[in-house]
Amino acid sequence: MIAETDGAILTVDNISRSYPGAPVPILDGLTFRQKRGEFVAIVGPSGCGKTTLLRCCAALMQPDAGSVLHAGQILSDPPPWLSIVFQDYNRSLFPWLSVKQNVGFGLAHVGKHERDERVAAALRAVRLDHAAELYPWQLSGGMQQRCALARSIVVRPKLLLLDEPFASVDAQTRFDLQDLVMEICRDMSLSTLLVTHDMEEAVFMADKVVVLSTKPARVVDEVAINIPYPRDQLATKETPEFLRLRHQVYTLVRQQIRH
Amino acid sequence: MTNSVQRIRALSLQIMLIAGLLAIWQWAAVTFPGPTLPPLLAVWRSYWRLVQGDLLHTAVLPSLYRLLIGFLIAAVGGALIGLAIGCSRSLDAWSRPVLEYLRYIPAIAILPPALLILGPTDTMRIFVIAFGCIFPVLLAAIDGAKRVEPTFLDTARVNGLGAIARIRRVVLFAAMPSLFAGLRIALGLGLIMMVISELIAADNGIGFFILRSQRLFQSAGVYAGVLVIGTIGWLLTAGLLLVERRVLHWHRGWRGLPVD
Repeated sequence: MIAETDGAILTVDNISRSYPGAPVPILDGLTFRQKRGEFVAIVGPSGCGKTTLLRCCAALMQPDAGSVLHAGQILSDPPPWLSIVFQDYNRSLFPWLSVKQNVGFGLAHVGKHERDERVAAALRAVRLDHAAELYPWQLSGGMQQRCALARSIVVRPKLLLLDEPFASVDAQTRFDLQDLVMEICRDMSLSTLLVTHDMEEAVFMADKVVVLSTKPARVVDEVAINIPYPRDQLATKETPEFLRLRHQVYTLVRQQIRH
Repeated sequence: MTNSVQRIRALSLQIMLIAGLLAIWQWAAVTFPGPTLPPLLAVWRSYWRLVQGDLLHTAVLPSLYRLLIGFLIAAVGGALIGLAIGCSRSLDAWSRPVLEYLRYIPAIAILPPALLILGPTDTMRIFVIAFGCIFPVLLAAIDGAKRVEPTFLDTARVNGLGAIARIRRVVLFAAMPSLFAGLRIALGLGLIMMVISELIAADNGIGFFILRSQRLFQSAGVYAGVLVIGTIGWLLTAGLLLVERRVLHWHRGWRGLPVD
């Protein structure tokens, strides 16, 4: 078993990261922890380095200083139990593969029979089973993002990273996708890390919202969201508790922009 | 309706242009009889012997065989080496001076040393054709591999693909549009190298046939040979485009263009 001191699936410990030639580091002494099964949202002003942070959290990139621990271990490559949904589905779904082949992409090591079954189940979970034989570019944006979601859950991850996954779709589709993601994450008991610039989305979906400062990004504050699941797009968003938390997060982010 | 009318008009104009050119040829051949410009019928007879008759096996097929083998070696070799270079920053830096130097050697200039080393053999001619073809493919593969969407590569890494699997399952496909652009250029160069390699110390092939016809003052054979080369180039390009359309059927759709 993996050594775990504190039950955290992801520990970001005082990490910094600069790009060559840039005068200001993009991440500077950033720290937060994610417990197993927790849904964490990271918000911050646009351009503050959220995507860099996510790439570090995925072990696709190493911080210059500090460490990122995945279930207690420092990794040089993404572990098999981690998956990502990227913002730009048009650049992450392989256009030469059908929906079915895209979803089964990470299951090359699995026998064909089991692969087909798991792909079919994942497509059913995102309600895309009717489009299995089509190509991603034949689908609407929301359907493509559901395909990307199916591809990331078919490998049965423990940690799901979402990089602004709803930023490129229209409002109604965004709400549907938010509901779908929350449902799937709860069903699969996933730990989920959502990076977003949408503060309302962060409060609505997460157990904990981590607010980042402008460049260089640091953690300004963590806001616990103690609203019970399942959450409803209308009912939850009308509760005083939701409005209070949204106000709190919004104020924190706005202070950052003013600085 | 107007669409089909336009198409018929375009087609008839095309046919008229070809017929006009042939008519000028025939008129010139009849008006100025001599060995320089044979009448159409003589050229046609020679052409037919090349594509159908006894000359098929001594002229056309040996040339085609060498062209296809040379082209295939260049296509596969250029793609493999190019994708590897395009994916590895250290390999790129390491090989760049050599590639930058070699690509400026005209393939024709490689003919004498190739003859020196390999002799007047099929191997020599195939080598020369492959040398002429490989650079466009190689450069297209390097460029295609470098311009793969970073998110594709991240997706591959998150799904546990190592470097080789990433090239085989992602980079190869993502670079395919660029690769085919290189292959089309390579095919044209291959055709040139095919003819040139047969002008030295050859005893078969179309290049040899044209050269011999010229030496024997058989001008119909010279022209027929040239026309056969044009036919081969046209057919092979059409074939390549057909393959490209099948392999890259996804590319038009992905780019938001209509798919047929």
